Amino acid sequence: MSSSESSILQGTLDLMVLKTLEHLGPLHGYGIALRIEQVGERALIVNQGTVYLCLVRLVQKKWIRTEWGLSDNNRKAKFYSLTKAGRKQLQAETENWERVAGVMGRVLNPETGR
Amino acid sequence: MLAFFRIIAARIRGFLRPGFLESDFDQEMAAHLEMAEEDGLRRGLTVEEAHRAARVQLGGVTQLRESWRAAWGLPWGLPWLGGFALDARMGVRMLRRSWGLTLAGGLAMTIVISIAAVVFVFLDEFMGRTALPLDEGQRVVALQSWDAEAHRRMNTSRRDLERWGATLQSVEDLGGFQTIERRLIVDGRPAEWVRVAEISASGFRLARVPPLLGRWIAEADEHAAAAPVVVIGYDVWQSRFASDRAVIGRTVRLGEIIHTVIGVMPEGFAFPVNHRYWIPLRLDPFDSLKPAPEGAVFARLAPGVSLDGAQAELTTVGLLPAATAPTSPGARQRASNIDARQRGSDIDARRPRIVPYTFAFTDDVERGELAWQQRIILLLVSLLLVPPCLNISILIYARTVTRQEEFAARYALGASRGRIVVQLCVEVLVLSSAAGATALALTRPILTQIGEIIRRFPELDGSLPFWVDFNFSWRAALFVAGLSVLAALIAGLLPALKATGRVLPLALRSLGSRTGIPLGATWTALIVVQVGLALAALPSAVEFAWGNIRPAILGPGFAANEFLSARLSVDSQSVPTAEPDQRAFGARVRSLQAEVVRKMEAEFGVSAVTVTAALPGAEPLTFIEMEEAVDGGPRVSRYVRANQVDRAFFEVFGVSALWGRTFDGRDFGGAATAIVDQTFVRQVIGAGNAIGRRVRPVPAPGAEAGAWYEIVGIVPDRPANTSQGRMYVPVLPGAHGPAGPIQLVLRGGPDPAATSRRLQEIGTNLDPTLRLDDVRRLDEVLGEMQMSNNLTSYALAIVTLSVLVLSAAGLYALMSFTVAQRRREIGIRTALGARPGRLLASIFARALWQVAAGVVVGVTAALVLHRRLNIEVEGGWHIPGILPAAAIFIMTIGLLSAAGPARRAVRIDPIEALRDG
Repeated sequence: MSSSESSILQGTLDLMVLKTLEHLGPLHGYGIALRIEQVGERALIVNQGTVYLCLVRLVQKKWIRTEWGLSDNNRKAKFYSLTKAGRKQLQAETENWERVAGVMGRVLNPETGR
Repeated sequence: MLAFFRIIAARIRGFLRPGFLESDFDQEMAAHLEMAEEDGLRRGLTVEEAHRAARVQLGGVTQLRESWRAAWGLPWGLPWLGGFALDARMGVRMLRRSWGLTLAGGLAMTIVISIAAVVFVFLDEFMGRTALPLDEGQRVVALQSWDAEAHRRMNTSRRDLERWGATLQSVEDLGGFQTIERRLIVDGRPAEWVRVAEISASGFRLARVPPLLGRWIAEADEHAAAAPVVVIGYDVWQSRFASDRAVIGRTVRLGEIIHTVIGVMPEGFAFPVNHRYWIPLRLDPFDSLKPAPEGAVFARLAPGVSLDGAQAELTTVGLLPAATAPTSPGARQRASNIDARQRGSDIDARRPRIVPYTFAFTDDVERGELAWQQRIILLLVSLLLVPPCLNISILIYARTVTRQEEFAARYALGASRGRIVVQLCVEVLVLSSAAGATALALTRPILTQIGEIIRRFPELDGSLPFWVDFNFSWRAALFVAGLSVLAALIAGLLPALKATGRVLPLALRSLGSRTGIPLGATWTALIVVQVGLALAALPSAVEFAWGNIRPAILGPGFAANEFLSARLSVDSQSVPTAEPDQRAFGARVRSLQAEVVRKMEAEFGVSAVTVTAALPGAEPLTFIEMEEAVDGGPRVSRYVRANQVDRAFFEVFGVSALWGRTFDGRDFGGAATAIVDQTFVRQVIGAGNAIGRRVRPVPAPGAEAGAWYEIVGIVPDRPANTSQGRMYVPVLPGAHGPAGPIQLVLRGGPDPAATSRRLQEIGTNLDPTLRLDDVRRLDEVLGEMQMSNNLTSYALAIVTLSVLVLSAAGLYALMSFTVAQRRREIGIRTALGARPGRLLASIFARALWQVAAGVVVGVTAALVLHRRLNIEVEGGWHIPGILPAAAIFIMTIGLLSAAGPARRAVRIDPIEALRDG
């Protein structure tokens, strides 16, 4: 994968993780990976380990926090949740993405874009 | 940007607790795999299939762990920190392997950094401190009258002081002080001259330090009719009053006035400068306060007011015009402290200014100028790093050339030139950091020693402001760290750039061939510079060091321990300013001096007493010129030591004239005669006859030329072994002014303590304003004067030695590499039958012409330096033949440096050399 593709993938994955946590609330890494596989139809990540690298970045940027807890089947797991800074970042990223998507849509479909 | 710093901070936290993170990761992966296996089992997979599927889905735990560690920057937290740590380990290894470079280079750097650190602490304390160690000390300020045209501080009149106090709203507790010297007499104790602060009552309120006993000076005490009072310091209370808690109400005599003790200040209090006695300030209406350090106007900024705001108000209030100064002769007589140069000065050039209190005690500078002076001095001191670091850079370069294969391999594997340069600089940074750390450890004891030396000289200790504290601060530590980095850059950057320039691709091509890098002009230039630098500085350094230490080693040439010295002066309070009064006073002082001498001879039966302007060995330098030109050449001018002596001087010191005569009655009736010593004749006149020749001090530009003195005698050097010639003239009437201190020298007197007490009693009985103090043996006086010369010589010797050792090491390294580079050639020549003698000759021939070129450069530089330095004026001693001796010495070192590698060269096995080549 080229560096430009990996940076696009990185940014997209960050947004998906933040959105997943906003939608589903605090969730462990396995749960986040399953959700993204489900939604992205396995198109966005090569393996589930990629999600954990994304989670490290988001923790370092303090957009998400971690806390050890018990899963549904009483297994000890590390749960991730959004921080206030993360919510703001999610909102900003979502607006940016929607703006870009709208512009690209008009560019790719000039007849319907008028 | 915020996210970037958050990542850095997170990585640093990770660096600090890597074990915790690793454990956390392991637990998380274990939980993930468990959940994934359970899902696999629910989907109908077997245990083994679920186990494998979980790991495949994750993407491999080991690979994930490596990526995860890289994301956290483990183990160093920051990627570049890992590289730095590796380079530092290489640097430590280099230091261990090249112990010669470590010792010589480290020693040179440590010496220079220590000197720079001490200078920094001095400057920081004297120039950089802006806050007093008092409550809100940063808000204590001084108000000055500043002459912008003459660029100096002026006296402040009492009327301006009163007007500012009544008018200014931006300051509070405004007052002033001036320092006076008075003879202190406390019941039952010997008299002593002390420094007293005449100070406004507001000074104590400003300092906000409550008295230990009694009270401060109050405004009521400042009235002329009020009873004289004094506040004393803690040390005085302990030493003179035995810590008597009933001291309040006791009386002391200061000069001619009896004062009542009203208060004792706590330990450590010394405001306004370094005072232990405080009396009320009672200025006459037309008096003025001298500028710092003898006096000042102080105040505290009002709450909420800045320095600029206070300056704005002070500028508006301004100074009283000079036209309102007293004009009557009587008023001028009372205005004894008014600076004569201030009278009639241009009002437009004077302006009031308000400055931080400590700044007032620096110099006649504007505030911005002081900061620039400080920076320039620090810059010059930092430049001392350049010579040793250049030497070290040559050694580093010699080593880097032998590491070409290593650099070429790294270059081939993808390291950039910059990365390799950083590596080399970091390796040198290890050495300079070690030198900096050693300098840090040495600076504190050096400062302690300096403090001890200052305290041994009462005059110095008494004038040192109370806010100056030679403690090592964090600012000094930062400065040392900065110097270490600078030293690493100077010593490491140039060889690093040179070693990684166009040479790297060349080295890459020659990898494995062992033919090495061809030498160029740089190599030869390095050897020439190395030799030239060492030779340029060596002769001057040796002459200067020898001149300074020579008197200590060879002695003064007479039994100085048999002589006592004392200082004779008159209390400055009683000196009149009107000229007729001054002449009468001068006659009275000379009469008193003669009476003291007569009483000394009668009291102790001393064999001889003499009076001089300066003690032998402490005469001031004077620039003189001879009248006739020698052999028609230009008039000779030179610095010599000049002293004024009475007719008993030469008899007291047992000195007889070698030619001509010593002083007699004819010389003290107005005749302008002089006696010179042998060194004077040698340095100024040379081979000619000195008797009858005439000499005079060179007048200052624009000043009228003084009288010519005819040389009537030549005497032996006294004291001997000093580098400047001496000229003696008779003590002329009024030469010092009526109250100028003179030196009394007694030969064969009893112990100094008893003599000191008796001298003071004689002085007091004759006249209360006569002051006889500082009684010491002459050998102690000469020893103290010699102390700083000794320190200078030792410091110079250490620095010179380290430069020589560095130069020798550099030459050895360069020669070794030269021989190593020619190993294959030597092997071939030996195999072809070359005789060892011819091989040696070819190696030495190259070394010889390189060293010779360096000697030529060094000799030229040494001659220029020697001429410009004027060594003898600075206290050095000319050593005939020092330059050729130094040149031979350096050439010997150069050739010896080549000898070792040359011997190894002729022992090379030709078969080995050809096989390795």
